[in-house]
Amino acid sequence: MSSRDTILQRIRSGLANAAAAGFADLREPPVPEVWARTGSNRPALLSRFSEELKLLNGEPTPCATMNDARRQIAQLMESGDCARIGCLDRPPLRELTAEVAADRLDWVAADWTAQQIEQLPAGVITADALLADTGSCVVRCATAAERLMCYLPPICVVVARVEQIAEHLPAAWEPIAKVCHAQDSRGETVLITGPSRTADIEKKLILGVHGPKRLIVLVVG
Amino acid sequence: MSDHASHLDGAAFLKNENRGLYEPSPRFENLANACDYSSKNNMAIAAAVPGFQDWREAAHQIKKYSIANLDKLLVQFESQMKARGVEVLFAEDAAAANRMVLDIARQHNVQSVVKGKSMVTEEMELNHVLEDAGIRPIETDLGEYIVQLARQRPIHLVTPALHFSAAEVGKLFQEKLGEPYSAEHAALTAIARKHLRAEYLAAGMGVSGCNFAVADSGTVVIIENEGNAGLSTATPPVHVVTVGIEKLIPRIDYLPLFLNLLARSGTGQKLTTYTHLIHGPAAGKKLYVIFLDNGRTKVLQDPQAWQSLFCIRCGACLNACPVYRRVGGWSYGWVYPGPIGSVLTPHLVGIDKAGKLPFASSLCGACGEVCPVKIDIPHQLVHLRYRAVNEPSPMNSPLERLTWRLWAWAMGGPRRYGLAMWAVRLGVRMAKFLPWHPGKLGAWTRGRNLPRVPSHSFRSWWQKRNSEKGRP
Repeated sequence: MSSRDTILQRIRSGLANAAAAGFADLREPPVPEVWARTGSNRPALLSRFSEELKLLNGEPTPCATMNDARRQIAQLMESGDCARIGCLDRPPLRELTAEVAADRLDWVAADWTAQQIEQLPAGVITADALLADTGSCVVRCATAAERLMCYLPPICVVVARVEQIAEHLPAAWEPIAKVCHAQDSRGETVLITGPSRTADIEKKLILGVHGPKRLIVLVVG
Repeated sequence: MSDHASHLDGAAFLKNENRGLYEPSPRFENLANACDYSSKNNMAIAAAVPGFQDWREAAHQIKKYSIANLDKLLVQFESQMKARGVEVLFAEDAAAANRMVLDIARQHNVQSVVKGKSMVTEEMELNHVLEDAGIRPIETDLGEYIVQLARQRPIHLVTPALHFSAAEVGKLFQEKLGEPYSAEHAALTAIARKHLRAEYLAAGMGVSGCNFAVADSGTVVIIENEGNAGLSTATPPVHVVTVGIEKLIPRIDYLPLFLNLLARSGTGQKLTTYTHLIHGPAAGKKLYVIFLDNGRTKVLQDPQAWQSLFCIRCGACLNACPVYRRVGGWSYGWVYPGPIGSVLTPHLVGIDKAGKLPFASSLCGACGEVCPVKIDIPHQLVHLRYRAVNEPSPMNSPLERLTWRLWAWAMGGPRRYGLAMWAVRLGVRMAKFLPWHPGKLGAWTRGRNLPRVPSHSFRSWWQKRNSEKGRP
């Protein structure tokens, strides 16, 4: 018998005690609501998102228009921290970087290696949703390069539109679950809640232990 | 289970590793303060959630349903993941799981392995096995990295290097990594970042644990704060997930509940920095999931113990436990410390080896009150005590049995009780004339003066008092 079948058989022989354990005839529990939906309006969601992300030492950056967002990128590149930026090739990022000089901009394709991505001072990605009550970004990464863009560059810039802010995780859940269920899904969906952090030495909080030291979220609109 | 995995021979808990119980050491003061801080912080965050008790109850019911359907969920998870090109393997014990990891490593010509935090790989003692096979394992969680460099074991489920001061970490990095000494937290973190970056890029394989294996969607859920799990699983060409079979949950829709609970109970956060929902291998990468039994199915043979399989490894019961705070994680002799360790270890390694652990508790109940999935840990401990005195275990010796039989007889009626107390008073009075310190009692009489015995007992005083006042 294979190990798989041995383990399944052991489980089934144990589960024969279900009545004695008080575990017999259970119905599948309902999905709990977790957080009620209050139907907050957009400005309220944006200010909540910003507050929460600031508490986590992230940098929420509301931008009224794409032009404002462009200015933010220009400022970042002038600040001396990043001579170049790497971008995932997505339509909003083409728009965002329209004015960035071609020699200071890399389009990170699926075949980029970790070594290449590691050299980027900043990586620009897009979010699928933002969560107001935790200050989180929901980012779907189908390829290894997309995953590494979240973790390797020391500055991570996430771009989203204001209408993508959901109240909390349950409110944003449906599309996330759909991706989890889809047979052709690969890679991961990652919820990013602030820059990389540790408190492993004497419980003192330090940012940027392995992943990005700075997490800048440009919320456009 | 490999034997060098366990320090339990005869249950270390009540032997030499219990020094912390009696001798306050600065090392354990760090630990006690940190636990106190965590526990209060977590409680404050939980108290801020009006429905927190409802969440716990819901999570308990979902875990209950999961265990009752474990076979179906395993098969469902397997078929969902296989459809995405994931290889799903099953290991009956730690040795089998180690062989699987080694086979995979050899197949892909792996020289070094980056590891995210995983208690299951601690159970397997995977690092030793890899080293013996000439493959270099690197723990990447900062706390685990420190503990690995110091060649120690983690002291806590969530914060493995809780007992290290910054100065000690500085010395360790100086000695092992050749870095200039610093006791500054940011500088130490930067040193670790620099060294580990190189390791991620060079490693042929990443190994991680798994916080939840979701059956209906086929999803591996890993939560972390540092980004090391993201890097360990995304950078190398091969990712191996090691997971205990009890980590299955039926539906992805239950996940928001568990994420909210685990982050709050584990580290007092609303959500951890990174929550990875891994769907399948990205193009050009390989993904393996190894399910480990290693004694878990034995728990199912004990109907009263099933809920010990609900544990989501948050560490809240450790922080709340007055015994753990005093003695630290190593005293528990194996991988899982604290109250939940006193429950899991006897099940997984055997009551014959770890039968003393359930007695390492004051049964104050704090662990049961904080458990986010409402495991009734105090009653689990009492149940295991019952088993430990009735099955072959260090707590089931002829002397123990005789002692307790005498005690039960003496407590069985007022005359017998009176007689026993008379004997005790006499014994205490006479003990100081003893020329030697007999057996186990000697541990007490050698270093301490026995209390002065009152001239008469409470019962005789009470009777006298009542008769003087003319009361019955």
